[in-house]
Amino acid sequence: MNPRFIFYDVYANLKQWFRNRSSVFWSLLFPILLILLFGSIFSGSNDITYTIAIQDLDDSTYSHLLIDILENISIIDIKNVDKNENITSYMLDNDLPAAIVIPNGFGEDLNDIILNPISTTNLSFYYDPARGDTVDVIKTVLQSTLYEINMQLTGGRKIIGLNEKIAAGENLSYIDFFLPGMIGFTIMTSSIYGSIERNTKYRKNGILRKLLTTPVNKTEWLLAKMLFMLFLSFLSTIIILIVGWIVFNLHVHLDIFTVILVISTSFLFSGIGMIISRFVKEEETADMAGGAITFPMMFLAGTFFPLEIMPEFLQMFAKILPLYYVNEGFRNAMIYMDIDKTLYFTGFVVLFAIIFFIIGAILINWREE
Amino acid sequence: MSELIKKTIRCPNCKHVFTITGLPGEIKKVVCPNCYTIGKIVFEKSKDIAISVSHLTKIYGDLIAVDDISFEVKRGEVFAFLGPNGAGKTTTVEMIESIRKPTKGLIKIFGKDISKSFSEIKERIGVLPQEFKSFERLTVRETLEYFSSLFNKHIEISKSLKEMNLEGEKDKLYKDLSGGLKQRVGVAIALVNDPDIIFLDEPTTGLDPKARREVWDVISNLKRQGKTIFLTTHYMEEAEYLADHVAIIHKGKIIAEGTVDELIQRYGKGNTLHINGNPKVYEFLKEKGFNVEISRNNGVTMHILRYSDILEVLSLLKDNNIEYDSIDIRCPNLEEVFLTLTGAKLLEGTI
Repeated sequence: MNPRFIFYDVYANLKQWFRNRSSVFWSLLFPILLILLFGSIFSGSNDITYTIAIQDLDDSTYSHLLIDILENISIIDIKNVDKNENITSYMLDNDLPAAIVIPNGFGEDLNDIILNPISTTNLSFYYDPARGDTVDVIKTVLQSTLYEINMQLTGGRKIIGLNEKIAAGENLSYIDFFLPGMIGFTIMTSSIYGSIERNTKYRKNGILRKLLTTPVNKTEWLLAKMLFMLFLSFLSTIIILIVGWIVFNLHVHLDIFTVILVISTSFLFSGIGMIISRFVKEEETADMAGGAITFPMMFLAGTFFPLEIMPEFLQMFAKILPLYYVNEGFRNAMIYMDIDKTLYFTGFVVLFAIIFFIIGAILINWREE
Repeated sequence: MSELIKKTIRCPNCKHVFTITGLPGEIKKVVCPNCYTIGKIVFEKSKDIAISVSHLTKIYGDLIAVDDISFEVKRGEVFAFLGPNGAGKTTTVEMIESIRKPTKGLIKIFGKDISKSFSEIKERIGVLPQEFKSFERLTVRETLEYFSSLFNKHIEISKSLKEMNLEGEKDKLYKDLSGGLKQRVGVAIALVNDPDIIFLDEPTTGLDPKARREVWDVISNLKRQGKTIFLTTHYMEEAEYLADHVAIIHKGKIIAEGTVDELIQRYGKGNTLHINGNPKVYEFLKEKGFNVEISRNNGVTMHILRYSDILEVLSLLKDNNIEYDSIDIRCPNLEEVFLTLTGAKLLEGTI
């Protein structure tokens, strides 16, 4: 083993990668752009109206008046919920970001407070923390509306407030679904195309022939390349998570499974890249072959949209695609925190990684025919 | 006891191929068993031989790319493997570099069979593959650092930059260099481990004349340092300028081998006189019994054996008031050798 070579190879790859603007763009900025684009479109932060649920447990003149005021706000669309409904279940079922519950006795409390203005009555404000942007807008609108009401009733003193409550249950937003898929997709593309470039361009340029005449062996070369690929995979994962956190207030659970998945995914798709470049030796054709594999996988393996919206035969097809197991592994490990499913999907990804990388490493040949 | 050396010989007279054995250092009288031509063969001491190739063959399906070739490269010489594109040069050199596996044959570098000991030989050879391009986004210095990290033994990068006259370019990215500079970096890469044998596969293909001359200067300098250089080329002037020993390969076979002078003497047709500018010259000289041919621009070409023949021809023309525009005398070269041997021009001889 030649550690000096491995160090220089990783170092040289990093330098070349940072100097290549298109590599940096496609590996880091492109996924970020996709996250921002899809996140904005499907998280609803650009909606002109925001739908919220209102459950009136009081059914008094004051509660009716409050609902009338809220219904007159142009950007708020109100869905009235029956008294007997569980408000958080209703939110979940109807995919709503927020709900207001007017408590029983709200009218009487308000009467007492107006006469004796020393206390406050609160509305319950339920919200889905995964839809931070939308919730922030709704909350701001509600607070300014309540401020106006308080001004009208007492000349400024706060008598109606909001009691914030996080809606229970797995009411996950699109970005929760999308971001782990984006991590899998980014590692897939950089690993496949990186592997194809190493094994076709370097072959065409005589670099692999040159290496054959030097003491370095294929194991050392592969080890160095995989260290670089792992660095790149972890870097893109971290950047995607930071963007998710800053822009969409996304909080994910990170544990050893996430690390195992990042490593296995890099090995899995580097292996597929090696297999492609073994059979398609021209760089441009190999790139197209890479595209022919990554593009359908990107759309069919549940990266951008849940499998459930696809026809059943496509759902069956998705389950033979390695990226499906990667996406589901990341989602279960980072978002759903379902340990059984995490183990199941991670197990498949590790298995695929071992199989594809070993086949790729065996098939890839520096020696000319 | 010294090991017997087996040599494959091609009779220069009748082209018959036969083998002969001898001891290292022995000079042996040889008689061709076919035409009885007599000659001498020197069996080099094995320590003088850098590369020894015997009965090397490479077959791809129905195509015999390299057909049972044998040759030796002495230490410290520039050995040029000359032939047109597709003749088998690169296949041969890549088999010697262990990049391709031979179908048949034995290759020894410094007396060691490369099929068994190539890993230890790797530290002693430097290779510039055909059409080599390095990492585009590394600087010249970083490129040399990278390739030197592949070897246990390597020369100082600053020394390498100085020797290859690349100090001014050390911080430039490889992709921004001119073709000539890229090839110079390629040669510098081949030298990072201070090798005893340097393989340069078509090092000047695609370069302009100035850049080609720069690479030749680098190779000449390496020759002065006593390095053994195995050069493959399809440029006859490159072989003539650089090589101590030339092997001409055509359709996978070595068709001639020797020093440039030996080859020209053996296969060249002598000097030629060209008289340009008047078609009457051809008629006149033909009438006088000279063996002349028509060449371009109303010119006449004739082979001359002695320089006195030139004077005789020119005097005859003057005495008979036959005018012409110009004359030139051309010496034979490897191009002519190749033409004699194959009936095709070297650069046109793509197979």
